[in-house]
Amino acid sequence: MAAGTRLRMPIFTRLCVVWLAVIVLGAVLADFVPGLQDPNHQGFLFGTSKTNDAPSWAHLLGTDNNSRDILARIVYGGRVSLVVAATAVATGTVFGMLFGCFVGYVRGKADAVVMSTVDVILAFPGLVLLLTVVTLLGRRDLVVIAAVVGFLSIPPYTRVARAQALAVSRREFVLAAEAIGTKKRTILFREVIPNCLPGCMGYALVNAAVIILLEGALAFLGLSVQPPTASWGNMVNAARVDIQINFWPVVWPSLALVFTVFSLNNVGDFIRRSRAVRSAAL
Amino acid sequence: MLRFVARRFASLLAVLLAVTALAFGAMNVLGDPLFNVVGFIASVDCDAVEAGLVEDVSGQTAGGRGDCEVIAEARREHHLDRALPVRYGYWLSDIVRGDFGTSFKNELPVSDVLRDKLPKSLLLMGVAQAIAVGVAVPWAVAAAYRAHRSFDRASTVGSFGLLAVPNFALGVILFYLFVVRWQVFDSRYDDTDLASRLRSMVLPGLTLGLPAAAVYQRLLRTDLLTTMQEDFVHMARAKGMSDRWIMFRHVLRPSLFSMVTVFGLSTAGMIGGSLVAEQIFTIPGIGRALVEAVIRDDFPIVLGGVVVVATGFVVVNFVVDLLYSLIDPRVRADD
Repeated sequence: MAAGTRLRMPIFTRLCVVWLAVIVLGAVLADFVPGLQDPNHQGFLFGTSKTNDAPSWAHLLGTDNNSRDILARIVYGGRVSLVVAATAVATGTVFGMLFGCFVGYVRGKADAVVMSTVDVILAFPGLVLLLTVVTLLGRRDLVVIAAVVGFLSIPPYTRVARAQALAVSRREFVLAAEAIGTKKRTILFREVIPNCLPGCMGYALVNAAVIILLEGALAFLGLSVQPPTASWGNMVNAARVDIQINFWPVVWPSLALVFTVFSLNNVGDFIRRSRAVRSAAL
Repeated sequence: MLRFVARRFASLLAVLLAVTALAFGAMNVLGDPLFNVVGFIASVDCDAVEAGLVEDVSGQTAGGRGDCEVIAEARREHHLDRALPVRYGYWLSDIVRGDFGTSFKNELPVSDVLRDKLPKSLLLMGVAQAIAVGVAVPWAVAAAYRAHRSFDRASTVGSFGLLAVPNFALGVILFYLFVVRWQVFDSRYDDTDLASRLRSMVLPGLTLGLPAAAVYQRLLRTDLLTTMQEDFVHMARAKGMSDRWIMFRHVLRPSLFSMVTVFGLSTAGMIGGSLVAEQIFTIPGIGRALVEAVIRDDFPIVLGGVVVVATGFVVVNFVVDLLYSLIDPRVRADD
């Protein structure tokens, strides 16, 4: 596809990309950022900082009710959100797209079985399902949370990929490949799946936003990664207790969530629109 | 129509069967079935007690039953030596008759606990949906009426922004503003009469309703813009009817389809949100009971709560499906 037909990225969307890049880089390189404090360092124990302190040069966003640096906790807390979202996207895309494209292309009995399973799993409200499975597994560390979220991401991706595959498998190039006697498996991997990929990617970003909100809610309820590990959700929950004293420790992690979710939605929406233009230009 | 309803009802029952089977199966495959019904005493080693190697401590208290007696009785009562599908059958016939087992915490029947909590959660859902629709309809009409002008642009950014706010953050911020700072509302749930109950539901209702309103506004605005291109709207305008009359009497009703469709879907988000909102605003509903039960490992409540919530969600979507086919007969024809 010629570059000229691409939709230009608006300045606002660019800002969103920059924010996402900052969050990702911050989470990955948190240990190496100069001046960033230990997110679990309780300064009041050593007389170096106060609890619920206002922003200052020492603590750019102030301190929380355990006198820990809020900026550092937000940067490290981003790790939890990102790991969970990345696992969800990776698992969802790989398995969901395989299942979805397969049943969307072959149809028939496999389609009926897989889709009714998907429907049953999606009959549970997301947070309730997540909460229950995490509880049953009895462990609340990042690996378990990420694994459960990843597993639960497969059904929605399957549904999206199937819808894409249904449309793609009626296109001329698939019919042509069938007409010249190409094997079904080859068509699935060479024609159907590559053409479903862009649509799934747009969905992946939007889904990552949903997952981040879901994990945030779980953490807020105190059922995600356990303190002292920082996550944006449990920061809001911890700060809630002292809201009469200091409002800002609630606001900062909330803002981090809002910006991240907004950016993911915005960029995902942009990818979806630019793809619509490209398919119209075909 | 009757055949359509009957077929949908059959598929509703099938989904409900599958949903309960999944919940029960997950509970018993991922968790310990004995623990699910008796709680922590499941870890008592009854073989060792019978062999006299360990004393059954609780059996020695005045006339109390030994843990092993309780365990043996639970094994009999819940058919724990039978295969999983058989146990599912027994369990299903129990819950159909309203027997969800007994809570570990206070030995109350789970059905009583649920019956006590469910109305509050339903009221919350109702208030939240009412707020969502009440906010979304005028908002969308105002935005569509002057589409692509400043108000519409601002409300597009506003609704995307609102969608990005996590419900727990929205709840905490509303709590801070209206309870802590301006003291408009009480921090405790007031259960004296309907008026005070509704008053206690305003803030949690906003917490759940505002994000849903943003979704509704986006959809309704798009549909309104489409409808406004129709000939009958131009006709009405040519006849010199007032804009307000045209928007509300001619344009609004045919534009409600998408909103009705996502009504069911948005319920899922609200159920998730109610876990959070009931926690923040201390409403003794199903969501709060579920979270507390999860923290305490009170599995009978967890299982009962999950089954009730999932059933409610499936039924809501069933009703929305029917409503939708009432509004738009083409859905029946497609089926």
